[in-house]
Amino acid sequence: MQMSLLTHLLGPRSAFDGGLYLPDRKAGLARRPIQTLHPEGPLHVPLTVRRDLTTEPVVRKGDRVVLGQALSRATNDQAVGVHAPCAGEILSLERVWTVEDGFLPGAVLVPDGSSDKVPQHQGWDDESIIVQLAECGVVCDMPRAPLHVVMRDAIAAGVTDLIVNAMETEPYLTADLRTLVEYPGRMIDATCELADALGVSRAILAVPFRHRRVVRRLQSEAAGRYVEIVALSNPYPQCHPVMLVKAILDREVAPGASILSEDAVVLPLATVRRASDAILSDLPTTHALMTVAGDAVEHAGTYRVPVGTPLARLAKRVGMLAPAAQAVYGGPLTGSAFGYEDAVVTHDSKALLLFGRADVSRPVPCVRCGWCIEDCPVGIDPPALMRLETEATCSEPKRIALRACIECGLCSHVCPSRLPLSETIIRNRIRFAGTESAPEGGTRH
Amino acid sequence: MTAGAPWLLSPSALRGEPPHRRGISTHRHILRTWIAAAAVVGFVGCALFGIDALRVIIVTLIFTFGVDLMFVVSLRRASSGRLSRTFLIGVLAGLTLPADVDWHVAAICGTVSAAVGNVIFGGWLHPALVGRVFVQFLFWEKLSLAGATVALGPVLSAANLFVGDLNQAVRVEHYQGWLETTPPPPADALELTPPLWSLRQFAQGQIPADGRLIFEPLLRDSLPPWIDTLIGAVPGGIGETSTLAIVVVGFFLIYRGYLRWQLPVAVLTSAFVAASILPIESGGDYVWFPVFAIEGGRAVGLAYVLYHLTAGQLMLGAFLLAGDVVSSPMRAHGQVVYGIGIGVLTIFMRLYGVLECECYWAILIMNVLVGTIDRFTSRRILGTAPADDSVAA
Repeated sequence: MQMSLLTHLLGPRSAFDGGLYLPDRKAGLARRPIQTLHPEGPLHVPLTVRRDLTTEPVVRKGDRVVLGQALSRATNDQAVGVHAPCAGEILSLERVWTVEDGFLPGAVLVPDGSSDKVPQHQGWDDESIIVQLAECGVVCDMPRAPLHVVMRDAIAAGVTDLIVNAMETEPYLTADLRTLVEYPGRMIDATCELADALGVSRAILAVPFRHRRVVRRLQSEAAGRYVEIVALSNPYPQCHPVMLVKAILDREVAPGASILSEDAVVLPLATVRRASDAILSDLPTTHALMTVAGDAVEHAGTYRVPVGTPLARLAKRVGMLAPAAQAVYGGPLTGSAFGYEDAVVTHDSKALLLFGRADVSRPVPCVRCGWCIEDCPVGIDPPALMRLETEATCSEPKRIALRACIECGLCSHVCPSRLPLSETIIRNRIRFAGTESAPEGGTRH
Repeated sequence: MTAGAPWLLSPSALRGEPPHRRGISTHRHILRTWIAAAAVVGFVGCALFGIDALRVIIVTLIFTFGVDLMFVVSLRRASSGRLSRTFLIGVLAGLTLPADVDWHVAAICGTVSAAVGNVIFGGWLHPALVGRVFVQFLFWEKLSLAGATVALGPVLSAANLFVGDLNQAVRVEHYQGWLETTPPPPADALELTPPLWSLRQFAQGQIPADGRLIFEPLLRDSLPPWIDTLIGAVPGGIGETSTLAIVVVGFFLIYRGYLRWQLPVAVLTSAFVAASILPIESGGDYVWFPVFAIEGGRAVGLAYVLYHLTAGQLMLGAFLLAGDVVSSPMRAHGQVVYGIGIGVLTIFMRLYGVLECECYWAILIMNVLVGTIDRFTSRRILGTAPADDSVAA
């Protein structure tokens, strides 16, 4: 992508209608290097990565395990096993609570402080990358599935473009940015390996234009490789795959369709980072790279946290200025608030945000300001869909609009009346999804 | 934090819906900023028209607020933000009235704004304007400029701002401009011809041409200096006249993002274009493209068009009345269409219409079309063909 002088001076234009430049709130946060938190106290490791992916435990109560040793094994080729994040003893096998999946089968691992680990062997070349990814338990963030399943589907769909998504446009989040700052060459290497495995003709690394030094560094790292560095303007939600495909490839994903239908696959940088450990170092996924931030957090920053660490302990390790009135798992616009004390870090945790003050404003009637319509990245009309809440049926255009929503949360963010627009759209999509396939009518009454 | 201290305050943390960091603008911020903007214009109006202006605004406000409060209590409908909006409507309705009306005119204007505009119509016609055009009909003989051989209205002189008495107005021969003229000592105010009246008379050919000079008699004899219309020292509604104050608060609203810049730009541009093109009557035939008129080496046509923009009503309409969030189109594209309609209709009605308050009528007419405009300017959903974009509004 050639940059004109004007583009170089002013930055690229936003590539889609709508969207909003949010205050990024990363200023001090992004300067702190990634810190590894060593386990203290028992870890409640979930033994599967998603509720519907079944695994069977391969350890028993009282066993001693070392770092990287398998704790569970996939029972079918859709699932992946889980590996021990530290050396220690299995105290018991009991269920653990995760924010996204609720209760999962888990193991309580008491670390013994030793640094024993499974010996690494570099001999994976005789297998394919996909087998290696499955064995190392690499999971993809979006779609939430094991990476080898995502890659298999992509290969079956015959994708031609791989986009690695490093556009962290949500406020507070810094994990991808720190990864690019600290391991730029490794990310390029892993992207090349994944592109090879996928057999794509273009491999693209999308980064925010505003981090110019990172962009230059990546461009020098990628010189001579076939990874293309694309620097994009970063209105929120440029980080969403649909918007990336629109901005980079100028293809529009039909409402509700998969990205694969446009011959592209979008992998988040966090996924590529996990894959790089598996491919380049033969390390299974045992830690999550998380941003811990918010006004209630004392030492906000990017942390490498062992999977299974209770979020309460993580919060205490980073220090808190006040008890959190609102705890958010994930980004501030797409994450979910939780109030359950025992939630733990999972393989795809990306952030823990703790705020000393909760937003408790109550919704009032729509004032027709039109901000949500102007800012919606996909061009739907949130107030019109809001009215579906009181209706029994859904017309076909509205059904398309419901499917087109990418759940970025921007409409709820900008709404001056504090209406829960995004949540209502998601709820109604689920509600009307069932009636869609009904033969004859359902839409017509 | 000690080990035993709670890290979560559990009850409030149960709100599971994103986003967790809201945008900073609530409806309260929007309404308060709008009220402040209207209040600044009202303050300038009080300077120009004295204590009478304040009296009119307060009476309008009391009646708007009181009537709406009555409805809220009797219908048991409680929604926050509603009374702030009523407050804004009261101030805006007061701004559209002249300062020398009786208190019962202001009272009826406020009552109709609240009862009819806000409660019965639900605000989709601009409530303040509903009240304003209602009293225009009801008190026709008092408020109308038509009919009089020479319409006159009072303005305080520059030496008596705020404190002067509007009733002690005198007519000055050989008026040279507001800043230069001082009324004879007992009088505080000047009796002047409203520029809107002059423009209307001129468009109907009532101001006779001076030989071959068509525009010169209007500019020389009938209209005050253009700078007076910028300051607002011309007769008219309390908030209608001061172009400078309106533009300043309008820019502030645009800067805060509570008014889209496209709307006033569309209104003023289209009014400029319409006034430039639409013909005026002179000596039995029509003069098209008045903007290009040059008489005695002076661009009198351009001056005539600029007077149309600043003479009154249009500036208030463009910046403070048309941009009302409830009664204007949702998208910027739609607001451009809406603004163009307002600008063209205003000039058209001013030149050829019999209705006064032409800008207010134009806004009300365009309010009726807002639903249609919204439908035609709806956005295309990403990934669908242009034909599929009709999510019913």
